[in-house]
Amino acid sequence: MGAPVVRATSMDRDIVAKVAKTAHLTLTDAELDRYSRDLREILDYFRVLDEAPNHTGVGVNPVEIADVLRDDVPRQEFSSEDLLKDMKTYKNYIRGPKLS
Amino acid sequence: MTDADTLAGLKRLNNTYQMFHAFTADTDPGDAVFLFSAKDNLTSKDFETCCGSRILEGYRPVFDATAIANLRRAGGKLIGKTNMDEFGFGTFSTNSAFGVPKNPFDRERSCGGSSGGSACAAAILDGHVSLGVSTGGSVCCPASFCGVYGLVPTYGRVSRYGLIDYGNSLDKIGLLARDPAKLKQYLPVIAGKDPHDPTSACQPPLELKGAKIRSVAVPQEAVEGISTDVKNAFENGLETLRSLDVDVEYVDVPELRYAMPAYYILATSEASTNLARYCGMRYGRQDGDYTLGFDAYFSSFRTDYFGDEAKRRILLGTYTRMEGFRDRYYAKALQVRMDVIDAYKRIFAGHDAVLTPTMPFVSPKFADISQMSAVETYKTDFLTVPPNLAGTPHLNCPCGYNAAGLPVGMQFVTDHWQEDKLVTMAAEWNKIFNVRVPEVKA
Repeated sequence: MGAPVVRATSMDRDIVAKVAKTAHLTLTDAELDRYSRDLREILDYFRVLDEAPNHTGVGVNPVEIADVLRDDVPRQEFSSEDLLKDMKTYKNYIRGPKLS
Repeated sequence: MTDADTLAGLKRLNNTYQMFHAFTADTDPGDAVFLFSAKDNLTSKDFETCCGSRILEGYRPVFDATAIANLRRAGGKLIGKTNMDEFGFGTFSTNSAFGVPKNPFDRERSCGGSSGGSACAAAILDGHVSLGVSTGGSVCCPASFCGVYGLVPTYGRVSRYGLIDYGNSLDKIGLLARDPAKLKQYLPVIAGKDPHDPTSACQPPLELKGAKIRSVAVPQEAVEGISTDVKNAFENGLETLRSLDVDVEYVDVPELRYAMPAYYILATSEASTNLARYCGMRYGRQDGDYTLGFDAYFSSFRTDYFGDEAKRRILLGTYTRMEGFRDRYYAKALQVRMDVIDAYKRIFAGHDAVLTPTMPFVSPKFADISQMSAVETYKTDFLTVPPNLAGTPHLNCPCGYNAAGLPVGMQFVTDHWQEDKLVTMAAEWNKIFNVRVPEVKA
């Protein structure tokens, strides 16, 4: 990807550029400025969490979820042909960019 | 209005209100028992499914979401896929790439979001029921702004199979309708265990036996900072409830102030990982330059086809999961979710429901929405976010209209799996509250 332009004048801007690169987004200079400002405002607001009490549990799910397993029997609900019909393919493989 | 009349008028209505991204050209309902619509983040075999995003343009799913399949099996005809904020990212349905739905009571105002098109269809079409999806308030907010009932069942009650993920631990399929009898009729149709979705596999049976809400707790924190017209309508609603022998008690729930930031951290963290799959391969837009290296190829699609708010949430969610920040944000948010659930459970030990206004104001004008910053918009969700974070079922009941005739809603929240009380409340409320039908303009 085109490396994001990073100006070392603002820590926030640098972080947003780094995050954008990780997330595969290319941002213009104007976007870097705008998202830096937005994220700064949002994270300022999130600082209220520092005052929140700790909890011994972690709510990965809001209700209790237990594993319910089915029999380990292979099955196929859709034909490969149907699944591939709208995908760009090459010799029945899904087409993608070169790994360079 | 007959179903045939509804079908004949869809094109004209959609030109005016833009509730649908795609809709049927059929004018004959055939042997359909009822008509329904579905938010465009639910997969459907006969319509393109785009989640309001250009990156999914051209995606034709090979399967129906379980909720859609179940409604079809019950005799429903899916008439269209409703407009929404891109991937559910919004409060006003203004972040849609395929048209912004207009409020049926004033077309210069928002339908709410992110299930805005569903609320619009439910408000305008006679006898209609629409499937919406709520992650942080996306059913109750638009139901409130459009003056219809909106029901969000407990997390896991309705299979998420075929629901295109926003935040897996938060997404819930719900129902919107002008007539609350539709909620009672169709909740059992879409609820239940589904081998395709393990989160649906642990639910207790859904029993609709007419259990009543006899006492409600109103958090003080929820009535501070709301507009005068919402406050007036809400207080009138409380008076009406008292006349129905429902006890009303104000309570302090300090944990609620942490719900909103915790929600946005979890939602964007999950969204930023879910949206990693959209990269110009397999579905949606695939018209890129294959000679690019894979980093450049993936980035080109995501940069060109994700909208502004999607990018903002991807950046926020990626940041809060990064090493060095994860404990402060993501891990803390998971703890806050437990605090909020505990707070609800404490209230439910003494009350049947928590009651608040649904939104802090009536539907705003598009001109005013365009002036709001991201954090200002997020803050408007402070009433709808807590039950969504906690996975508790909730209901928007229309409870009044301001001087300009714009709807106000109130939100009941019950304990996990207690949808029965909400469905009963909606039916009881509808006997004494006259839900206004918007005057449809062609």
